[in-house]
Amino acid sequence: MNIPWLALLSLLLKGVAILAFFAVNAMFLIWLERKISAKIQNRLGPMVVGPHGALQLIADTVKLLLKENIVPAEADRLIWWLAPFFVAVPTVAAFLCIPFSQEWIVADLNVGILFICSITSLCVLGVFMAGWGSNNKYSLLGGMRSAAQIVSYEVPLLLSVLVVIMEAGTLSMQGIVHAQELGWFCLKPNVLLAFLIYMISATAEVNRVPFDIPEAESELVSGYHTEYSGMKFSMFFLAEYANLFIISAVAATLFLGGWLGPLRPSVFWFLIKVYGIISFLMWIRWTLPRVRMDQMMSFAWKVLTPLALINVLVTGWLLAGKG
Amino acid sequence: MNAVVFYMIALFIAVSAVLSVTVRDIFHGAVALTMTLLGIAFLYFYLDAGFLGVIQILVYVGGIMALFVFAIMLTSKMGDHKIPQVNAQFWPGLLIAAVLCAVLLKIVVDSSWMHAQASAVITDLQTIGRSLVTGYVLPFEFISLLLLAALVGAIVIGKVRR
Repeated sequence: MNIPWLALLSLLLKGVAILAFFAVNAMFLIWLERKISAKIQNRLGPMVVGPHGALQLIADTVKLLLKENIVPAEADRLIWWLAPFFVAVPTVAAFLCIPFSQEWIVADLNVGILFICSITSLCVLGVFMAGWGSNNKYSLLGGMRSAAQIVSYEVPLLLSVLVVIMEAGTLSMQGIVHAQELGWFCLKPNVLLAFLIYMISATAEVNRVPFDIPEAESELVSGYHTEYSGMKFSMFFLAEYANLFIISAVAATLFLGGWLGPLRPSVFWFLIKVYGIISFLMWIRWTLPRVRMDQMMSFAWKVLTPLALINVLVTGWLLAGKG
Repeated sequence: MNAVVFYMIALFIAVSAVLSVTVRDIFHGAVALTMTLLGIAFLYFYLDAGFLGVIQILVYVGGIMALFVFAIMLTSKMGDHKIPQVNAQFWPGLLIAAVLCAVLLKIVVDSSWMHAQASAVITDLQTIGRSLVTGYVLPFEFISLLLLAALVGAIVIGKVRR
């Protein structure tokens, strides 16, 4: 049997690169979040370990790795054990289709954007399983809220992505970037509206303030991952920040021209755009209060979804008029 | 090599499908069903039908399974104690299943299976989209009508309870 060793090796290296980026990026984002929140609340944030607390997260990681893994006595062992994987693995897989630059993409699938949307929709099951498996009423409530929220906001999210797909005429992430060479999509009014809808829905999808009801720490003691500790908890935490990166990367690719920019190397343009969006989301998180559950649900179904549907219709009409 | 991968996926699908109907805990059954649906998506990916695989995950795993699990969570009694696997209809059910199994087996044995060459069938979106609004427009519209009816039905059920 002729085994393509070189191809296997290259696949392995790409996998390792993605995992390394997954972990380092999440650590950087947690540090950034703590720094930004400190700035907004007029404090200093982590300062002790390393210059401006830069090594704080490495210390925290070592601490989390060494912590005891406590399983609640009444937990559903199998479900409880599987849940973090259901959250973390799809998140890593979504990185496969993110175009960091013309060359830096692991797999430019011809259904790239749909792949990212579908594989990240697996996370909701992991959240469910964590809530159910913990056998804790707060975790269960958090899991249920998360389910309702993610399923609802998935609809306007996909509809706003659809507008971009219609404009670009392709599902491939690189194809969408190339379609914006004449001008970023967010410059068109209908796509700008889609951008707005996307950002709101994506914020809800990753459970961030003002939509962090699933983990609302003041009422649910942080919801579905209350019972998790040590390495299992850090898997949820890493996946959360990786998801934040993914939604921002998709936003940058779909609406802000991805890695396009006047000067090389283009990967820097991509990262500048992505971290810009992430900083914006962090700014929102530490500025706005949390909305109520019923407000959030009715907003998704009565405002965002009809608006996104009308937007799809208008885009189709505009494109048909163009020929 | 190809056959090994195929049989591994097939085994995964078969085992999780059997598990999804035999485990006692309904939530475990839901997880096993998720595994089955994921396995079918793997099969689509393996057969170069990327679009189908992606839609399989998006619709079945991300959408329908999430709603299943949501329904399990809402029915608090379902998960609390083990539900019996059989009821009074066990023997009639077994009979119907056996007859169905016999018919399916007969069809499987009798039909002459075509061995298609591994052709470069490119399931591009344009083809799928165009055939949906030309050749298959009647089934397509019929399904949308069915879904609308289901939607209205769900609203009616929700209203009555209030």
